This record gives sequence, C-alpha cells and structure tokens, in this order.
Amino acid sequence: MRQEQVHVIAGNVFAISDAQGDMEVDPQAPVGLFSFDTRFLSRWVLSVDGERLNALSRDDMTYFETRFFLVPGAASHYVDADVSIIRHRSVHDCLHEQITVLNHSAKPADFTVRMEVGADFTDIAEIADVAQLRPRNVHVTTDTHRAALVLRYERERFGRVTTVRSTAPAEVDGGGLTFRIRVPAEGTWETTLHVSMTMQGEGDRDMRADLESHQQNVRDGMGDDLTAWLSRAPQLVAERDGLEETYQGALAALAALRYQPLAYTDRVPVGGLPWAMGMCGRDAIVACVQSLAFTPELARATLRMLALLQGGQLDDDHDEEPGKILVQLRYGELAAFGERPNALYYGAADTTPLFVVLLDEYERWSGDADLVRELRHPARLALDWIDEYGDLTGDGYLRYQRRNERHGAVNQSWKDSPDAIVDAHGRLPAFPRATCELQGYAYDAKRRGARLAREFWGEPEYADRLDREAVALKERFNRDFWLPHREYYALALDPYGEPVDALASNIGHLLWSGIVTDDRAEAVAEHLLGPQLFNGWGVRTFATGQRPYNPVGSHLGAVWPSDNALIAAGLRHYRFDAHAARIAAGIFDMAQTLGGAVPELIAGYERSLTKYPVQLPSAGRPQSWSSGALLMLLGTLLGLRPTGEDLLVNPALPPGFGGVELLDIPGRWGHTDAYAGDRSTRPAGRRRS
Amino acid sequence: MGTTAARFLQDLDPGRRPDLPPTTAGTLRLDMRGDGCTEHWYLTIADQQVRATRSADDADLLVRADRAVFDQLATGQLHLAEALLRNELTLRGDMALLMLLRRIFPGPPGARHPRALGRAALAEQERSR
Repeated sequence: MRQEQVHVIAGNVFAISDAQGDMEVDPQAPVGLFSFDTRFLSRWVLSVDGERLNALSRDDMTYFETRFFLVPGAASHYVDADVSIIRHRSVHDCLHEQITVLNHSAKPADFTVRMEVGADFTDIAEIADVAQLRPRNVHVTTDTHRAALVLRYERERFGRVTTVRSTAPAEVDGGGLTFRIRVPAEGTWETTLHVSMTMQGEGDRDMRADLESHQQNVRDGMGDDLTAWLSRAPQLVAERDGLEETYQGALAALAALRYQPLAYTDRVPVGGLPWAMGMCGRDAIVACVQSLAFTPELARATLRMLALLQGGQLDDDHDEEPGKILVQLRYGELAAFGERPNALYYGAADTTPLFVVLLDEYERWSGDADLVRELRHPARLALDWIDEYGDLTGDGYLRYQRRNERHGAVNQSWKDSPDAIVDAHGRLPAFPRATCELQGYAYDAKRRGARLAREFWGEPEYADRLDREAVALKERFNRDFWLPHREYYALALDPYGEPVDALASNIGHLLWSGIVTDDRAEAVAEHLLGPQLFNGWGVRTFATGQRPYNPVGSHLGAVWPSDNALIAAGLRHYRFDAHAARIAAGIFDMAQTLGGAVPELIAGYERSLTKYPVQLPSAGRPQSWSSGALLMLLGTLLGLRPTGEDLLVNPALPPGFGGVELLDIPGRWGHTDAYAGDRSTRPAGRRRS
Repeated sequence: MGTTAARFLQDLDPGRRPDLPPTTAGTLRLDMRGDGCTEHWYLTIADQQVRATRSADDADLLVRADRAVFDQLATGQLHLAEALLRNELTLRGDMALLMLLRRIFPGPPGARHPRALGRAALAEQERSR
C-alpha cells in the first residue's frame, strides 16, 4: 500500500509530498513540485539532527495551503519529544514553506536542521510513460552569503530554473541547506524557504519582488480570491447531511483547478491532478457545461481561449485541421521539442461540436449575446469542420482516425483509452471509427448552431441549412445505429457501416444530445438503469456480460461521475425523472462515502457486493469534470433550465434525499432561487433568513 | 533578400483570407535577427486581409527570433507553439495576435486531409473482396 500523499494546488502549479511533507522521487508517481508540466523539485526532505520526521497531525487549510505538525524520530518515542516542527506550505506561482522549530524543554537546545533539495526537471509526461525518463545535467550554484541555492537545466535556448532561498542564514551546499541553530528554552526558531520556478524567456524579474508579491498573494490574494469565488456561486441549503460540504468541496476544487495559460489573461480549468494539470479541451468544455448554473465565468474564459487556439492548418503530427478545437495543451520539454505532439494537440473528434454546444448553452444561461457575436467566426469554422474534416468516409457520420501513428490518440472521443471501442466479443473495429455519441454531439451542434445563426448572426438561410442537416443526421443515425433485436444503439460503426454491437454508457450521451427518437428513449433509459450497466453508484462505462467487461478497466466497466452527470441530464430531457434521480442519488452517495474531492472514476463492481466505492489507482482527484459533475447533478435534480429570460425550476428528487434550496443562481435573470421539497421526508421549510 | 521567410512575406497574397476572424485587427512586427543586422517586417491585419511591409514601427505584438527560425516557420517545418516553448521566439505585446501567424504561415508540407485516410480504408476493403 502506497503511503498517503498530500497535495497543494494553485492552477497548474502543484506539490505532492508524503504525509510528512517530504518529496522523494517515485518512478511511478508524480511526487514533487511541478509547474507548467515540469518538476522543479524532485527532492525536498527535512531532517533534524540527522533524523527524519514523523507526522502527528496535519491541517489542510485550503487547496493551496497545508500545515504539517511533526516530531523527529520513530513513532515509539515521539510522545515525549522535547522538540516539534511545523511545516507550513503554500503554493501560488511559487512554493513557500515556513519551518518552525519549537523547543519544549526548559533549557536552550542546539539543533541541526537540514533541507535536502534536488531538481530533475522531468517532464510530467515522462513519468506517465516511464520508459521515457531521461537523466538531465542540472547545474547547481550555491550562495551561502545570500542563503540561496539555484538549480538550472538548459537545452538549447530552453531553460528551467529552480531558486531556493531562505529568510534565515543557512549553509548552502549542492544538495541542500543546513541550519545550525540554538533555540531558547520554551522558544521557537523559524525560517521561510521560497522556491521560485522560472521558465527562461520570461525576462529578468527581481526575485525578491516576486517573493514578496507571492507572500502578499497567499495572505490576501489567494484567500480573498477563494472567498469571492465561493460567494459568487449559489448557496446551497440542504437537509441531507454532508451535502452542503460536498457542494462546497466541489466548488473549491474547481477554484483550485483554474489556471492562467501563458499568453492568456483569464483563468480556465485544467483537467485535474495529477496527470492532467494542463488545458484539456474536452475536460474543460464538459466542466464548463456542468457548472453553468454555478460558475459561468469559467465558460466565457474557456470559449475564448479555445477559439484563440482553434486549428489553422492541416498538420499530421498534431492531428490538426482548420477549425478543430484542441484537446491538449502542454508546456513540458517533450512538447517543446516536438517529441510529443501536445504543445497543441487536436486529436479529438468531440471537442469541436462540443465547443458549439457550450457556446449556445452558455448564452442560454448568461444572455451574453456579445460573446456569441464575437465568436461567430470560430463557431462557424467549427461547424464547417464537422462536415469538411470530420466526415472521413463521406457517409455523413463524424469519424476519427489518427494521422500521428506514433503518439496520436487511438480513440478520439471521451473514452480515449486504446481498447475502449470494442464489440461485445472483444473485437476491435477498423478505422476510421464513428462512435455513436459523436453523432449526437454533431446533431446537437448543428441545431444549436442554427439557433445562434438565426438569433444572433442574422443568417437565417445558414440556420435553415443546419436544421435540415440535423434532421437528416438524426434520421440516418436512427436507421444505421439502432440494433432492433437488442433495443439499443450500437457503440460505433466501422468504416464500412457495420455496427459495433457493444452495450456501453455512450447511449446515455445520446439522450443528452437529443438524437434519440421518442419511441426509443424508454428502451435506452431501461438499459442505462438495468443490471448490466447500473452498478448502484452509477452507470458503468461498459455493460457486464460482454467479453471485454472489466470492473477496473477505465472505459470497459468503471463508473465516471462526469459521464453520469451527462446521462442523468439526458434522462431528464426525456422525462425519465426517477431514472435520473437514481443516478444522482448513487453518485452523491459515492462522493459522500469517499469524502474529499470526488475521484475521476471508481470501479464498476456491484454496490451491493463491495458496499464501499472501490477506488482505482488511475483515478486522480480533484478533477474538474468530476467536481463539475456534482454541480450538474444538483442542477438536474432541481430541474434547472433557462427558458427565455427566466429560470425554470422543476425538481425531481430521489426519495429520502431531503429538501434542497439553491439560492442566488446567477444568470440572465440576475439572481434567482430554486426550492425543492422532498415529500418523502418533511415539507421543505424556507430557511432563508 | 535571400531568405525564405522574407520571400514568403513578399509574395504574401493580399486578398481576403476566410480563415482569419473578420473582427480581429492588429499589427505585428517580426524582427528577424541575422548576422549583425535585424530585418523588420510589419504585418497589418484587418478585414481578413494581411498586408506585409518593411518597417521598424511599433506594433501591437513584437515577435523576435533568428532569421533561421522564421525561415522554418515560413516553410511549415517548425510549429509556432513549439518555437515559443523552446524560447526560440520572444514576444512582447498582444499575445492574442500570435496565433494568427499560425494561419498566415503554412502548415507542414505533405500533411494529409483526413478524408485521404477514409478513402484508403474503403479502398482496402474493395481490394480484399
């Protein structure tokens, strides 16, 4: 069993340590201090008189700040230690750590405090892909006079620098900082270590000024920013125990995962800890759709950012085409030198239609017509892309096949693991593949594009054309994807039009997109909540009883909150309120049972079998689209839907859920409240003072 | 006047480019560092058109790099984002204009249209019949 890991996050800067606050290289886990996909600290180990420390307790104050309470030596004798140590760590654009040594004895005491420091400047993509880990020549400079240690890595003009400075005098050597201190009786000693991370080329800024601004930011800026973020979001009042805390946790996770990209002025969501701490187009779009009723500012920033980085050329390496919306943006060394295509990677067939879906949905909530007009050109390029570049075989379906055969994504929709798209017997279809949910997204994008063209762009003919195309696509889709004997839609079509017959959660997205005909919706809903797909916590990615099913397979059996949030919303579109409520109840039970940020996925085991949600090592948390999922599920239970200038509220709670009030929901209506009583408990009291 | 980038800009099509956003207007100055001298190219973008002239005037965005870097950009051999991450390019000003360069300069030579892959898959099936 791996030891507990502790993290602090500020956008794409994060530090992962053990429970003592120490960071040591682990070949399989991204332990250390990272910024812009680079590990700026790979070793950060504190000792007192040569002894490592043990944690007594910890205070995770906010997502960006943690305090470790420590004593030297082994657990057996620490109870009567004469000395204890507090490490108070926070991150912003750099890391700082205040170390306090407390002498509890009646006599002055001498200690040797040592912080070992190392930086390997590994690209996090190498850790994800162990075979690629490479040694680097790191140049170390020591400056005892200024209590500073500088570690520098350079390759051509590419340079990354870690600078560690101490406020208290220190002896500095190539491996760390040593403090020989005398602490008065019942007294304390402290120092603050600042670790700044520089991407060469940003210009020469005065280090000291940076440090001061950082302290200021952590003390005021970061705290105030979080408070303001939480206060802009609606307030939840819930009868159900713990739900308000879970809600606050989801909002705080989204706050933690905002980052400001290079060359951009606003903050957008990263995917999540630890592997996706960069812009992921898909995760960001979905998280924005999920959080429109709560934190609409994310959607505005994300739409503009994605428009700015929209594909402009045919480029095989980056799987790029004009009009395509990117799926990954990374800053590491592998990206910089083109060893991975992810400086700007476009290998996704879903992001482009979903960009249009988000733009329209954002307008429905916010009434921000200006943004719709501003983004007319990128939205039209995106709509053009669907037919010009997304229809690979000319049969009218949105398909994908990577052109970068070494490093490109094999599967280019949300189930992007290489084995995710497979038939019930485990056979892999040929490329290019048309998965079913992509057709739903394309259909939805065309309908929403038509609305935008008609209402905002003054292009009624174009709108009519899009509407006609959407109708034709829905008809064609219902003819070619429907498996009449099984009463569900095929997972995909191969290039020759043969259906891939697996039963998978993708059919739930079809409800969300509205491409399912009314007479087939019930069969789809029954499959989603049937024993093969629903495990008691949520809908599995892939149904049991099929050969490739694997409860711990990410896309072949595991349960994803983000997937379930879209499915539940789709079920309510088609008025399967009880079905949607069962999913929401299961996911909230899971989130509250586990506590903390909701993981990206859990195993697909039957709930009645394990009683407890089984977590998977591959599941990171916090994740923006998992935290967003809880918000969307809440909105789905309340039945929140913008209608004209008003917010329609049409609650459908699971039995026993307890009353829910969501106050000050922001939108085109200003702020409004939503109330949902739970008739199975007691009438909802209006507790708003 | 021998460099690839300079020739590319000199021959730049002054006509309308539908792939540029009609609402985006701005100026970029490309400073191409050579042996002992820097060549300044000035791009004016408005109404989906790009005008390239020689001028050292101040612009909304300044882009500086070795001439060889611009030559590679002008032939589609170097990706703009990678050049930036590698610190081969330095920027000052309105970064939002930077990505327009990705549309003005060509993509890599020999890139395929995705439909070529679709056609290949269908042809494969024909052959196996």
